[in-house]
Amino acid sequence: MSRELPGLRHWPFWVLGFWCLAVVFARLLDWSPFALSPDAIALAHILQGPSWQALLGHDDLGRDILSRILAGAEVSLKVALTVTLVTMTAGVFVGMVAGYFGGWVDRLLMQVTDVFLAFPGILLAIAFAAVLGPGLNNLILALCLTSWVGYARLTRAQALSLRNRQHVQAAESLGAGAPRIMLRHILPLLSAPLVVEATYSIAGLVIAEASLSFLGLGIQAPQASWGSMLRDGVRYMLVAPHYVLAVGLSLMSLVLAVNVLGDKLRDALDVKR
Amino acid sequence: MRHFILLFCLLLAACGKPDTHTDIRMALAQAPINLDPRYATDAASERINHLIYRPLVDFDANSRPQSALATWQQLSPLHYRFTLLAERAPFHDGSTLDAADVEATYSSLLALKDSPHAAEFANIRQVSAPDRNTVDFILHVPDEMFVSRLVIGIMPVEKIASGHDFSRQPVGNGPLGFLSWQGSVRLERVSDRQTYSLQEVRDPTVRVLKLLRGEVDLLQGDLPPELVKYLKQQPGIHLNEVQGSNYSYLGFNLEDAELARPEVRRAIAHAIDRKKILQEVLVGGSRAAAAILPPEHWAGHAALAPYEYDPERARALLQQAGIALPLKLVYKTSTDAQRVRLATVMQAQMREAGIQLEIRSLDWGTFFDDVKHGKFQLYGLTWVGIRTPEIYRLAFHSASVPPAGANRGRYRDALTDELIENSDWQGVSERVHQMLPYVPLWYEGQFVAMRSDLSGYNLKPDGSWDGLATVKKKSKTALKQQP
Repeated sequence: MSRELPGLRHWPFWVLGFWCLAVVFARLLDWSPFALSPDAIALAHILQGPSWQALLGHDDLGRDILSRILAGAEVSLKVALTVTLVTMTAGVFVGMVAGYFGGWVDRLLMQVTDVFLAFPGILLAIAFAAVLGPGLNNLILALCLTSWVGYARLTRAQALSLRNRQHVQAAESLGAGAPRIMLRHILPLLSAPLVVEATYSIAGLVIAEASLSFLGLGIQAPQASWGSMLRDGVRYMLVAPHYVLAVGLSLMSLVLAVNVLGDKLRDALDVKR
Repeated sequence: MRHFILLFCLLLAACGKPDTHTDIRMALAQAPINLDPRYATDAASERINHLIYRPLVDFDANSRPQSALATWQQLSPLHYRFTLLAERAPFHDGSTLDAADVEATYSSLLALKDSPHAAEFANIRQVSAPDRNTVDFILHVPDEMFVSRLVIGIMPVEKIASGHDFSRQPVGNGPLGFLSWQGSVRLERVSDRQTYSLQEVRDPTVRVLKLLRGEVDLLQGDLPPELVKYLKQQPGIHLNEVQGSNYSYLGFNLEDAELARPEVRRAIAHAIDRKKILQEVLVGGSRAAAAILPPEHWAGHAALAPYEYDPERARALLQQAGIALPLKLVYKTSTDAQRVRLATVMQAQMREAGIQLEIRSLDWGTFFDDVKHGKFQLYGLTWVGIRTPEIYRLAFHSASVPPAGANRGRYRDALTDELIENSDWQGVSERVHQMLPYVPLWYEGQFVAMRSDLSGYNLKPDGSWDGLATVKKKSKTALKQQP
């Protein structure tokens, strides 16, 4: 049985909380005289290392890396949360309808889902991003188009078993309509696995956003994104390792924290434990 | 049984990679695509082909045509006669090169419908070889640049007739012969059997690391300036830099309502601080450009000065044109990190002049397709290996709108057309500088980084790899004997 140090038990919450607060704090600074300027170019400071003026150093255009990491975190969280919200809604709707009604509706919806599942998600997102063109909105759209299938599959599997529960049959006998049964009697029982799925999905989406931006198909210059910063940082690994290290560790800390949080949530919500 | 195992081990050892330690190994940012000179268009293929094949004519330092395989005389405006030099190297397959090979090369090129170079030679009515040393070219219409076009490498007639696959197994009579192409391209210098291995290493950091570790012996170009500075400081590495001649520019779509106005284009030209970019973001040997052809080119215009950085003037020009500020424009470029970096600097500089530039980085295929089809407002590209002033006809003549030519900005100006027709290249340079269908940016410098056991690499301003024909590698024993 594994043991954790008492202070470290909740570290994923602290790390995630740190990033959320840092993003909010950076936003609040915009209304103060100390506003961060992640896009301000200073060619005289190109690739200079950490200093008191720039705690994490400067990038390949002399911009402050810390400011850009915070701006990149905002983009990552914004993309991940927006896509999760949209895809969870869409996936739950599709899965619920398929699982509850069954029959040809189920077969049709699941065949569409299988088509999307047949392609690796990130490759499909790359293809969509290439077709739609680069940019934040298109990036969100591309990720939405590929990320709903997990929720649909999960919801359908749960709905298939839940629809035969006695409380659902009782509601049907009392004349409740399908929308009411799905929303009031099935969906609440799905919330635990959906929350766990959403947590993992957020981590995956942060990576997906970074991957697409790394390939130049996501966030466009000069807007900061961890993926494009990693791409630039790798080019200067020999002369300015602080650049790629700062971005890489930021990305790793957020993704690791969200994944571990998912594990903890799964354990906590597991009725068998 | 023991003998069998021994034999098996010997066979395994024999099947292993040949010892390529004596190879001169060069790291390429991009591998060649097609080594058939009738089809090659990418820079790597063209540069390797220039080593494997010899053309009829080549260029001197001022880009004037000079004889490579033949001298020439113009017998009439439509008739050129080329006489092959008495001393000429045989083909790498041992056959001798004569007029029939030249005739076959150009005849096959004219017969090919899918060659990207076919249009350039469409003016040839007939090619003939009256004797072993003479080739006659008869044209449809007079073309004073005709000689400068004959830079296609000559191929053996028998191989052409038999449908030989030159794209993967080239046979020429250049200084380097082709050995194999499996992963890396292996070549051999005809004069001393020195072998070469040209391998693709896409990542610039990995290219530098391979050079430092001795896994490759040299690399040329395609590194960010910071890595070039880093290499300069490394012991055991020699770095040579020369001024470049490849022209980088901003292209406008002149069918766009705002960009059609010369004041707006002039404002953009004044909104870019080239000096700062050259100093901080480009490799050594880079210099500001005022025209496509550099000043040292025989048709260049040395008196033209690059547009000065003056954001106030740019703003005034925009206001004079009645443009509401900020002027919003979309700039398309490839996903290449250095191109995006340069675009970001220009974006910040243009902001000072009231121009809000949105950068769209697209994969190369999409980007170039958009450029060819006029789906852009602004784009950034580089003309590589330009040798003749015919580039002005290709890029700016009204009749050269794609697919007929490369007038991608749809620039139409009667005076420019007239100057091009009259071959008044100085006049064309001035007119283009004034009308600005392109904003000239810079000629990017060239550099080669080599390990210290290499010498004799002659670096050219156009970035060609001709230095491979002369480079020498000191043997290990020779190095040990040095003090």
